[in-house]
Amino acid sequence: MRIFDIIRIAQGNLLRSKLRTFLTIVAVFIGTLTLSLTNGVGNGVKVYVNKQLGNLGAEDTLVVQAKQTNQNPVSTDVVKYNPDRQAGTFNIVLLLEKDIQKVKAVKGIEEVTPVYMVQLEYISAGEDKYTVTTNQYIDGLNIDMASGRTVKLNSASEITIPARYVKPLGFESEQDALNKTVTLAFKDSKGELVEKQIRIVGVQQNSLLGNLDTSIGVPLAKEILDQQTLGIPQLEGRYQALLVKYDSSFGVEKLEELKKTLDKKGYFAQTIEEQVGIVSTVIDGILMGLNILGAIALLAASFGIVNTLLMAVKERTREIGLMKALGAHGRHIFAIFAFEAISIGFWGGLFGILVSILIGSVVNNVASQTFLKDFVGFDLLRFPLIPSITILLGIMILSFLAGALPSIKASRLNPIEALRYE
Amino acid sequence: MPETKETILQLTKVSKIYKSGSEDTAAIKDIDLIIHKGESIAIVGKSGSGKSTLMHVLATLDRPSNGDLIIGDKTTTELKNSELDKFRNKKFGFVFQQFFVNPRNSCLDNVVLPLVIQGVSPKERKKRGEAILEAVGLLDKAKSKANDLSGGQKQRLCIARALITNPEVVFADEPTGNLDSETGKIVIDLLFELQRKNGITLVIVTHDQDLAELCDRQITLKDGKIIQKS
Repeated sequence: MRIFDIIRIAQGNLLRSKLRTFLTIVAVFIGTLTLSLTNGVGNGVKVYVNKQLGNLGAEDTLVVQAKQTNQNPVSTDVVKYNPDRQAGTFNIVLLLEKDIQKVKAVKGIEEVTPVYMVQLEYISAGEDKYTVTTNQYIDGLNIDMASGRTVKLNSASEITIPARYVKPLGFESEQDALNKTVTLAFKDSKGELVEKQIRIVGVQQNSLLGNLDTSIGVPLAKEILDQQTLGIPQLEGRYQALLVKYDSSFGVEKLEELKKTLDKKGYFAQTIEEQVGIVSTVIDGILMGLNILGAIALLAASFGIVNTLLMAVKERTREIGLMKALGAHGRHIFAIFAFEAISIGFWGGLFGILVSILIGSVVNNVASQTFLKDFVGFDLLRFPLIPSITILLGIMILSFLAGALPSIKASRLNPIEALRYE
Repeated sequence: MPETKETILQLTKVSKIYKSGSEDTAAIKDIDLIIHKGESIAIVGKSGSGKSTLMHVLATLDRPSNGDLIIGDKTTTELKNSELDKFRNKKFGFVFQQFFVNPRNSCLDNVVLPLVIQGVSPKERKKRGEAILEAVGLLDKAKSKANDLSGGQKQRLCIARALITNPEVVFADEPTGNLDSETGKIVIDLLFELQRKNGITLVIVTHDQDLAELCDRQITLKDGKIIQKS
């Protein structure tokens, strides 16, 4: 038989019980829709996360912290006293100048900068004052900017602000805010308010992840921290973390080795990607769960295919017998039924994907005008071509497998018995 | 029949045994039979005599339990199923009592089914299908659904389907069984006319004595054995 004739006969057979075929296709459609939508959300969020965090830059930087002695709140261990390892604020063990020297001594480490964690009182560009947090800029870090540039690492007079501060601070636009001076206020160690005039050099894109704080250069952060800790022994000259630049020629293995070395010396080291990678892992987990739901729906649908085809084989027993009597091979009969199964999968899958893309574009449109208004470049659902085609092919393979049992049954029918079948 | 006739089908000591429960029942036993090219032969007998089984074995629809079927110069016991399929498709035609037409398809689609199975191109199929429909007087019905035909027309359609591959042998299983006598006669006349014209071997299974007598030879079966040859 010609392939064309097998396809023609299979399609003709599907149209014979239109309602039954339609209902089976609907079952596949629902499964595909679920799977495609969860994949769409997954891709949308992933692209966004990657844009915000994945493309972080600062590749050869490690964040080094002291290993925490009492991380476990219900720990019953009795820990030996070590004056250098006493918890500072929030029970976090801080790092000392000696630690900087110790880390610096490790082979492969080129540069160590403390992270100066400072607490600010407010930011203001006129009358109104707003609470604000800040982070020290990390060398080489890519920040998604709405306008301007990131601060210079060594600058003591520059700041970038998240886009959401633009309007409250009285600027007309993200462009307008550039090169304007703002007042940054903090309390020194005696509790007295200190104000500093700083120039805005850039506006950070609003974001769901990260990019939430203002960003300042290292000397400014140090200056503020020094004033905040002056004369307080448990804070002065102590740091929450160190930024460590390591040999940029290091591969994955050498990096692991370096981390182990630091671990042995009592430090906990993570790349910046690892620090934010936790977000992606959580998202991946949630999406995996949703995908399983879609897969279960498809599994149920594939039993629908089995059922539909078994009924079709019963209905067409005599026809199959006739074809075999007239010389059709078992594999021709198999191919006809297998193709019917694949067709059901194809149409259900295709409509499922197309409708999910339609729903996706409507949702994206609504979202970008409402709750995701401030997050430029965030499509909630994305449907890249390759994963969509993969889903479609996967469903066709699943349908084929579902159709295999009825198809084999049909192909093995004895022509005489089939012709006698009432 | 002249003695020099070429043998087309030959059965040597053929039995067909069906297992029913623990007991084996032989539908046909030790049948020896030679069928010549171009002759018409009737297999007669009461129901249960094994005449249908004999036809099925002759037509390679069923494999004998013992003995050999020789078609031309080939022993079918040595052939694979797929080779038998090809054999049936190219060399045999079938006319059934219950017609077995696809009622939803057009007459033309029904008649070209053996060519579809053979893998003949659609263009060629249409040409040959229309030619054979003309031969059985159904060309004007080519596009009608098979369901709209009368019983006699359906059987003529089946004859056309049996002949479209230019077969060497046509097997007809009670071809008049579902027709009134008048329509039956018309159909049978057509069948014999086409058989003679094309030099086809015709094997008819029937319990209709009038029909059997129209054939060159008759074989009567009883309890799976040939009791009378003429």
